[in-house]
Amino acid sequence: MATDTPTRPARSDRAGVLPRRQGLAVTSWVLRQQRRAVVGWSIALAAVCAIYVGFYPAIGDQDMAQLIEGMPEGLVQALGYEGIDTAPGYLESTIFSLLGPALLLVFAIGFGARVLAGEEEDGKLELELTLPVDRRRVLLERFLAMVVQLLVLACVMVVTVVSMVLALDMDVMVANIVAGTLGPFLFVLAMGTVSLGAGASTGRKAIGLAAGAGLAVASFMADALAPLIEGGGWLENASPFAWYLGGEPLTEGVHWAGFGGLVAITVVALAVALPVFARRDLGV
Amino acid sequence: MSSLPSTATTTSPRGTAPEVVIRTDGLIKDYATGSRFRERGAVRALDGLDLEIHRGEVFGFLGPNGAGKSTMIRVLLDQLRPTSGHAEVLGVTPQRGGPGLRARIGYLPGELMMSGRSTAGDLLAHLARVRGGVGTDRIRPLAERLTLDLDKPIRGLSKGNKQKVGVVQAFMHRPELLILDEPTSGLDPLLQHEFLAMVREAQQDGATVFMSSHVLSEVELVAERVAIVRQGRIVDLDDVATLRHHAGQQVELAFAEPVDAGPFRGLPGVEDLEVDGAELRCLLRGEPDALLKVAARYRVVRWSAEDRELEDLFLDFYRVPVKGDEEVAHRGH
Repeated sequence: MATDTPTRPARSDRAGVLPRRQGLAVTSWVLRQQRRAVVGWSIALAAVCAIYVGFYPAIGDQDMAQLIEGMPEGLVQALGYEGIDTAPGYLESTIFSLLGPALLLVFAIGFGARVLAGEEEDGKLELELTLPVDRRRVLLERFLAMVVQLLVLACVMVVTVVSMVLALDMDVMVANIVAGTLGPFLFVLAMGTVSLGAGASTGRKAIGLAAGAGLAVASFMADALAPLIEGGGWLENASPFAWYLGGEPLTEGVHWAGFGGLVAITVVALAVALPVFARRDLGV
Repeated sequence: MSSLPSTATTTSPRGTAPEVVIRTDGLIKDYATGSRFRERGAVRALDGLDLEIHRGEVFGFLGPNGAGKSTMIRVLLDQLRPTSGHAEVLGVTPQRGGPGLRARIGYLPGELMMSGRSTAGDLLAHLARVRGGVGTDRIRPLAERLTLDLDKPIRGLSKGNKQKVGVVQAFMHRPELLILDEPTSGLDPLLQHEFLAMVREAQQDGATVFMSSHVLSEVELVAERVAIVRQGRIVDLDDVATLRHHAGQQVELAFAEPVDAGPFRGLPGVEDLEVDGAELRCLLRGEPDALLKVAARYRVVRWSAEDRELEDLFLDFYRVPVKGDEEVAHRGH
């Protein structure tokens, strides 16, 4: 190289200057694009939660107890309906272990796979990745956009359920509703991050979807089938789905060990995806 | 120390080599094909590409679709990592240069994919924000110059208007290196003219411009040097005038009465001669003098001489099935 060149053009003085005051430009841009989607999901989630909480007084504790008596014990366990004849048990069985996570999962897994791998496949990520921003930062800022949206949806869930519970004068502790929402939130965030990470690592949206949805379904199956299998305790212990339900948050509050496990999934998914995404070829 | 202030951005001091802005040495890029379920293989998109582009020049990178132009550009922008060989942009490899290097580059993708409800202005403001706000003040004047409506939603924009968005974001931060992939596709002739003026201004500003195209006419008005790439290799590298000379002209002459092909055969610069009754067609390279003097013996009723398109030039390369350097030799100088 011509290191002995006496003069260098003045423009080179700007060499390698990284932009300052970038802020969270990528996160805020993604969130702007998602505004309508988040509003739509919020309405759907609030409606479903309100309808299910609203059913409770109409069905009543007695009817529920009778319903369970008529069902085989195995089915009751598989559905997680053991405690459905109390108000917290009913909320847990319907909203917090089934419909809430199911709706949030569809959102998180879909978003996780689309926001990186999907946009890459569509060619929409190309411009952003040729800007002065590190690839890992792009991944993390897009992850952050997922966290923010899931937080919004979790808040919608809490606010809806708390208002309904207060309006119907049900016997559920507000603090436990928050704890009960934290579980699905962390579970769904973990599955969404697996989607995001698998998509980012491979550049294939389909692989992201399959990874997130596959893990979520496997978790659910393991948790549902474990009680039916002789010595199936290990299966339940291995299921992230059981990790957040294990403590029965709506009756007992936060179950920290399980939540820690869910956070660990999220962290590992990111930790694996970041170096792979930073190293691989893009858009091929 | 080499930090003496200098205004010499387009020319280097007499006697020293010009500063190299882009350098590739034996650049090879293979793409994996197939999947684990099908037979695996590799396609060689770049096959030992050597190139040096100097500070302040406008360089045309020409080749048919699939020749490896976009692959090369994507290596320069660190979207792809070379299989082997070496690439250097502004004195650093794209991977090591990272975001700091990309801050100094303006890039116009060949296929600009954008969608969403946001307006063109919002998108450009966002892109400027990722650049730390650099270029925000240039968005409006550039958009006006290209007659781009900043208030229209992106997803409603025509191909040409999306291309304008791409041009604005590539130029807005006054980058010292512009990498433009098929820049004028989708722009109408008036805007192509405006775009070429912008390229010239950027060059006067000291910028280096690397533009790819599959048509010579797109780059010949601004580029000084042109490389022709085919199957991942440079098959010819010349200044534009020489290349134009090689390309030659397609000449057609119509005479008042049938003529004999004999006297025209073997004239200097005349190739692919066809005489069909009173019509003569040939490929002419170099001066037309000899051809005209023979033609003047007859009564010429009509004549035309058209610059050949680069596509024809590619065909020349393709129908000569020899390898590498021999091809360049075949072109002759």
